[in-house]
Amino acid sequence: MSEKVLVVDQEKCTGCRQCELVCSVYHTGSSNPSRSRIRVVKWEHEGIYLPLICNHCEKAYCLEVCPTKACHREPELNHRVVIDKNLCIGCKTCIMACPFDHPFFDVKEQVTVKCDFCDGDPQCVAFCYAKAIMFLDADTIQIPKKREAANKVLESIKQIR
Amino acid sequence: MRKVKHLRPQEHWGWIIAIYLYLAGMGAGSYIIGTVMNWFVHPSKIITIWGQPFDPAKGALLWGPLLVAIGAPFLILDLGIKKRFLYACLNPKTSWVARGFIILSVFIVFGVVLLAKSAFPFEWLRGGSPIWNILEVITLAFAFGTAIYTGILLKATKSIPLWNTYFLPLLFLVSALSTGSMAIILTTLGTGIFSHDAGTLKSLILIEQILVVIEAIVLYLYLLGRYRISEQGKDSVRLLLYGEKKLIFWGGIVLLGFLFPFVLESIATFSPGNVWLIFFSGMTLLCGGFFLRLGVLSAGIKEQIPMKRWTEFRYHLKETK
Repeated sequence: MSEKVLVVDQEKCTGCRQCELVCSVYHTGSSNPSRSRIRVVKWEHEGIYLPLICNHCEKAYCLEVCPTKACHREPELNHRVVIDKNLCIGCKTCIMACPFDHPFFDVKEQVTVKCDFCDGDPQCVAFCYAKAIMFLDADTIQIPKKREAANKVLESIKQIR
Repeated sequence: MRKVKHLRPQEHWGWIIAIYLYLAGMGAGSYIIGTVMNWFVHPSKIITIWGQPFDPAKGALLWGPLLVAIGAPFLILDLGIKKRFLYACLNPKTSWVARGFIILSVFIVFGVVLLAKSAFPFEWLRGGSPIWNILEVITLAFAFGTAIYTGILLKATKSIPLWNTYFLPLLFLVSALSTGSMAIILTTLGTGIFSHDAGTLKSLILIEQILVVIEAIVLYLYLLGRYRISEQGKDSVRLLLYGEKKLIFWGGIVLLGFLFPFVLESIATFSPGNVWLIFFSGMTLLCGGFFLRLGVLSAGIKEQIPMKRWTEFRYHLKETK
């Protein structure tokens, strides 16, 4: 089975922040977007929205800097990088190290939390009506882009004819 | 270029971590200067407390590990779950927090043992065993490790350009030696510990002044390098110099940390015996050392997330001057 990754199509995002809500409900039981593992950055006046997700990097800085090994990789589950809440001391070093601003500090639990693909069924994907977030095979994530490029070429050719 | 008021520095590590870095640095620097003085000057003044011999001169020179021990709990105070602080040493292979935990712990334990041995010169501890000499050298190495570690901890955060340079450990090392030597001067001030050799205090003040000048040069080169390294590096320096952190920089670091101590110490050298002048210059320098850590910490701006940069570029969203 090939590895799956989360893919964001920024142009489709409507900024409804449903992803933040369902993420927090799934992970914490409370509908509190500030405790979710996904963040939607907004440029409200321009109407531009950008969902920020964890990239589960191949060379993950969060994993390197964690002093307790709470942040670790699980090769059997899509090579995801997760944080063991029982080992995390809440030092925030991983937050400082991540170039994608991803791990978040949960003020209620006093530990750092991050995306774990909802154990294989990402809720942000399931509830994103605009289909801005997708959970795709890593080998096939380029296919939509290639299809889009091919369609553009096709349209150009049609215009020439 | 973004407006200074729009710059958003990191807010996860604040004044608590600054105190931790400051006390760790000052304690380590004080121990380094103290040990070297102990080796070459041998100040000693044995008094009796409750029938026990006590050497306050050695105590003043080697009390650095106690400062580090006072500072270490501040790191614990900043943790989310404080009772799990012992877990912090589980990953020394790649984590500098874990390595620092070990370096500081070894330094505190060895340093306190040597402090106790030197300050309480009991007969049964006086044996000139070479083990003590070896322990002194090892502890000195760990003191250097502690002073440099405070900078390495920040340098390891690669996503913040202001911190990601070898100039930072160097700056913190020089600052550690400067504040550490001042801690020794202040501890011995007016006690007459160095009275048998009036030149010692004078030389210590001279060393102190040289260290202040070196620190100022390193700080200048550090900021210059960071200003040129990247957009966020430049933003951090601008935030520190002209933004909301300018009071910390100009008031705390430049005025209290460099100008006041340098001028007051220079005046003090021309009017020997003016204890208050040295005391005030010492206090301002120590405050400056803290503000240096606070300034560097609080002005750290993260590299912009690539997706965010791309979106801003694509839609021309940057707030410009």
